[in-house]
Amino acid sequence: MSWQMPSTVDEALRLKADNPGATVIAGGTFLGILSGQGLLDNDEWISLQNISELKTLGTEGDLSVGAMVTHRRLELTPVVREDWPGLAQAFGVVASPRIRNVATIGGVLADADYASDPPSMLVASRAVAEVASVRGMRRVPIEDLIAGHYETTLADDELITRVVVPRPRGKGVYRKFRTRSREDRPTVAVAAAREDDRVRVVVGAVSDRPQHYADICAAWKPGDEDSAREIGAAYAEAIRCIGDGRGSAAYRRRVVGVEVRRVLMQVGP
Amino acid sequence: MRIELSVNGNAIEVDVEPTTMLVDVLRDHVALTGPRVTCGVGLCGTCTVLLDGEPVSSCILMAPLALGKQITTIEGIPRDDEVVSCFDRQHAFQCGFCIPGMVLTAKNMVEHGTATSREQIREGLGGNLCRCGCYTKIVDAIEEAAR
Repeated sequence: MSWQMPSTVDEALRLKADNPGATVIAGGTFLGILSGQGLLDNDEWISLQNISELKTLGTEGDLSVGAMVTHRRLELTPVVREDWPGLAQAFGVVASPRIRNVATIGGVLADADYASDPPSMLVASRAVAEVASVRGMRRVPIEDLIAGHYETTLADDELITRVVVPRPRGKGVYRKFRTRSREDRPTVAVAAAREDDRVRVVVGAVSDRPQHYADICAAWKPGDEDSAREIGAAYAEAIRCIGDGRGSAAYRRRVVGVEVRRVLMQVGP
Repeated sequence: MRIELSVNGNAIEVDVEPTTMLVDVLRDHVALTGPRVTCGVGLCGTCTVLLDGEPVSSCILMAPLALGKQITTIEGIPRDDEVVSCFDRQHAFQCGFCIPGMVLTAKNMVEHGTATSREQIREGLGGNLCRCGCYTKIVDAIEEAAR
């Protein structure tokens, strides 16, 4: 078994290009669970732990988050809480502080777990991932990065190096609906980002990937309860919800309608 | 893989597979049994250790990820520590199995000033489970320690 610890992004990209089958490990919470449960059969690891350029957090202009920035840092950094409150909120409700101290933004996106909190808020906020390989760098909006259950559009030699979140043009709210305990994953996750008089509502944790319907959102009248209710009903109608241990498909459909209405009332008028 | 870890201020050298979890290194190689494996998926908090002062779940942390960091287990906390004394005074335990994790989480909260109200303490303890149900007294103890 090998564990490589490159100290620069270039070195990591070279290692990944030479060995596309190696598993890249960021914070290691998700991979730690998979490995501990015997669900991963993998002998070669590339750990990003020593790459300091992936741990930078830039807050001038847009928010520029290195892939190795932890959930906890996004939750607690004062300027993030102040200027990107919806984002700080979404990262601040993931599992427990123990997980948030270790889990990273690059990791949670690369896992593409349907029941993670941050992706829906990142999609609502129009966040874009910078994805690098020895072939160059491309920018991928988060909605195009997550393809389905535990599936991304990353090529075998690519790494997420940074996530850029534009400065909000209005209120952002993340609502986490849980059916079990506080540290659990959401049954229904609803994120809303207001853009002047428009809004982007994204629903997560109810299907294979975050769901956003621009056409439905276009009908929004800020602050209008009936409009919020109609949009909630339209989202509930549009999404094919899954059932799992946190709630059946039918239950989720009901909750989606209610939570979308609530989030719209929170970001309006 | 040979790795050198800093545990409770001591340098420890072990030879383990990279996917060995930190809790297993601590228990099986360093003979520190304060951190416990219960759920094995980072949910229950009995394996809590501090990494550079911050609580983490050592049951899902691959050991090499702790390289270069100060690892603190309950064994590294002095007996006369204020948080420990408050747990003692408030009888904030029954079987004691979860207490190392509770104390380490509490210490971090008290040090960061995030134990200012009962609600905030409950929030902070969200990922530490006590099957005896001693939560009320545990919150009492942390409230006292934060005063």
